[in-house]
Amino acid sequence: MSSRRVLAITRRLLQQFRRDRRTLAVVFVAPVVILSLLGYVLRGGGSGPKVDLVVEDSGALATAVADHVAHDWDITVSRTDLATARSDLDTNAIAGYVRLPAGFSDNALRSRVVAPEVIVQGDEPGPATTVIAAMQRATAGALTALVSGPPPRLAPTVTYRYGGPSLDTLDYFGSAFIVFIVFFLVYVITSVSFLRERTQGTLERLMASPLRRSELVLGYMIGFSVLGLAQTAVVMGWSLLVLHIHNAGSPALVFLVVAVTALVAVNLGIMLSSFARTEFQAVQFIPLVIVPQVLLAGTILPISSEPGPLQVISNVLPLTYAGYAMRDVMIRGAGLDYGPLVLALGVIAAVAVVLIIAAGATVRRAPA
Amino acid sequence: MPPAIEVNGVTKTFKDLRALDGASLRIETGEIYGLLGPNGAGKSTLIRTLAGLLTADSGTVKVLGHTMPDLAALDQIGYMTQQPALYPDLSVEENVRFFAALYGREDDGVQAALELVDLASRRQSIVATLSGGMRTRCSLACAVVHKPRLLVLDEPTVGIDPQLRAEIWGKLGEMAADGVTVVVSSHVMDEAERCQRLCLMRAGRILAEGTVAELKKLAGVKRLEDAFLRLSAEPAA
Repeated sequence: MSSRRVLAITRRLLQQFRRDRRTLAVVFVAPVVILSLLGYVLRGGGSGPKVDLVVEDSGALATAVADHVAHDWDITVSRTDLATARSDLDTNAIAGYVRLPAGFSDNALRSRVVAPEVIVQGDEPGPATTVIAAMQRATAGALTALVSGPPPRLAPTVTYRYGGPSLDTLDYFGSAFIVFIVFFLVYVITSVSFLRERTQGTLERLMASPLRRSELVLGYMIGFSVLGLAQTAVVMGWSLLVLHIHNAGSPALVFLVVAVTALVAVNLGIMLSSFARTEFQAVQFIPLVIVPQVLLAGTILPISSEPGPLQVISNVLPLTYAGYAMRDVMIRGAGLDYGPLVLALGVIAAVAVVLIIAAGATVRRAPA
Repeated sequence: MPPAIEVNGVTKTFKDLRALDGASLRIETGEIYGLLGPNGAGKSTLIRTLAGLLTADSGTVKVLGHTMPDLAALDQIGYMTQQPALYPDLSVEENVRFFAALYGREDDGVQAALELVDLASRRQSIVATLSGGMRTRCSLACAVVHKPRLLVLDEPTVGIDPQLRAEIWGKLGEMAADGVTVVVSSHVMDEAERCQRLCLMRAGRILAEGTVAELKKLAGVKRLEDAFLRLSAEPAA
C-alpha cells in the first residue's frame, strides 16, 4: 500500500470536484436547502388540523371544556351544529369534530367519568392524534379549574371514520410510501437509462433514423411503465401479503394509482435527463426532484401542518395527489365513485400528459 | 440523373465557432466520396447535416432530392457514427434487428448485414463482450441493414484489420455499383485512397475537391498524405 498513490487519487478527485459545480451544489447547497425546508415545515407554524366543536350542553363543565378546546394551540376550531359537523367530516373539510352532548356536564359530575365524543377521519395518524390530545388537554384544563379534589376520570369516546387503533404507523404511512418508492425508483432508472442513450451515442443514431421523437418517448414510456407495473406488483404484493399493510380498498385501484404515478415518474425522468450529460449528473437531480416531494407531499408530515406558502407548493406536486389517492383507497376504502379520488387521479394523469409533451420537446433531434 | 447530394453555401455556427463556412459540394449517385481534413475541419458537422441531425444556419442541403432536414429522407439514409453507437447489453443480432425494425426491415437484411461485416458467427455475442473492431463492424451492419440509398459513414473502418477492411471496402464498392452513394469521413489515407472523389476541408470550408490523382496533382506531390498535409497547411482562401 502506497500512501502516495492513495493521496494522488484523493487529490485528483478533489481537483475534479472543484470544477464540478453540480457536485459542489449537492455537497454544500443541497443539505442547507433541505434542512431549511425541513425546519420551515416543522417550525413554520401550520394552522393545525381543523376541528368542529358541537356543544349541546349548557353546563359549566361543557362551557369550560369548549372554551379550552377553542383556545388550544394545536388545532383550529370552529363552533357549529351537529349536522354541519357531520357534513364537514363527509366532505373532508375537517380532521374531526368534538361533541359535548346534552347532559355532558351533569353526567360527568354524577358518574365521575368525563366522556366527550371525538369523531376523527382517521386516514392520517397525525391529525387524529392531535385532535385527541387537544381534547384531553382541554378536558384536563377545564376539570382543574372547576373541580376540587380527585378529578373525574377522562374517558373520551373516540370514533374513527377510517382506520382506528388497530392500525399502526406502517399502516398509515405505508400507503404513501408504496407510491413514493415506485415513483422514486422508476424516475431514477428512467432518467439514467434515457441518458445512457445519449452518452453511448445511440440517441444520435436513433435521431438519424425515421424514428420520431414522440415515438421514442412513447416507446420509453411503455417500456418503463411495464417495468414500473412489475415493480408495483412486487411492492404491492410484499406490502399487502407479507407486511400486511392495511388496505380497505380494491387492490386493482391501488395498482391504478401507482401505475399512473409511475407514468409521471417515467416522463419526468426522460425530461430531466435532457439537462444532464452524465449519469452522475442525472443522479444529482435527486435532491432537487425527490427530496422536496418527500417533505412536502404529505408522505411523512401532514400537509395541513405546513406553513401556508409551503402548502401552496405541496398542492402542485404530483406525489401529493398520489398520496391522497393511495390513502383514499387503502385507508378509506374509496372507489371510483369517490369524487376526491377521481380528482386526484385526474390531476396525476394531467401531470403525466404535460410531462409527456415536455419530454418529447426536450429530446433534441441533434444530441449535443 | 440528379446528384445524390447537393450542398450550397452552407454555414453552421455553434456559439462562437463557425463549424461550416460557406461549404459547397456535389456528390453523384453511386459515388464513393470522401471527406478529408484535420480535426475541427467541419467534417462531422457536414456529415451530421447530411444525416439530418443538424439544420444549416444558411445555404441549402439537398439529399436524395429532399431539402434537409426532412424526415422523409431518413428512411433512405444509413448513418454510422464515429463511436460504435450500440446497446452493450444486447447481442449483435439484437442490435442489428432493432435498427432494422426502425426502418421496417426486420424480416430481411439482417443476415446480409451480418455477413457483410463478417459477424454472422458472432450474432449471439453480447456487444459488451466484443472487441473495439467487432463493435465497429456491428455498428456498420446497423447502418446498412435497411439497404439505404445513401450511406454516411464517420470513420467506418477504424480498428478493423486490413483484410476485413479490404473486404468491407469491396462490399461498399459493390453497393456503389448498385447505385448506393457512400460518403465517408476519414483520417485514414488508406480509406481516402479508395474513394472515387474526395474533398479536403479546413475551418469549415472546402479547400479542394477531386479524385485522388487530381488532388495529388494540385498539391504537386506523389502521395495523398502529402497532398493532405500541403493543402491543409496553406492559408484558407
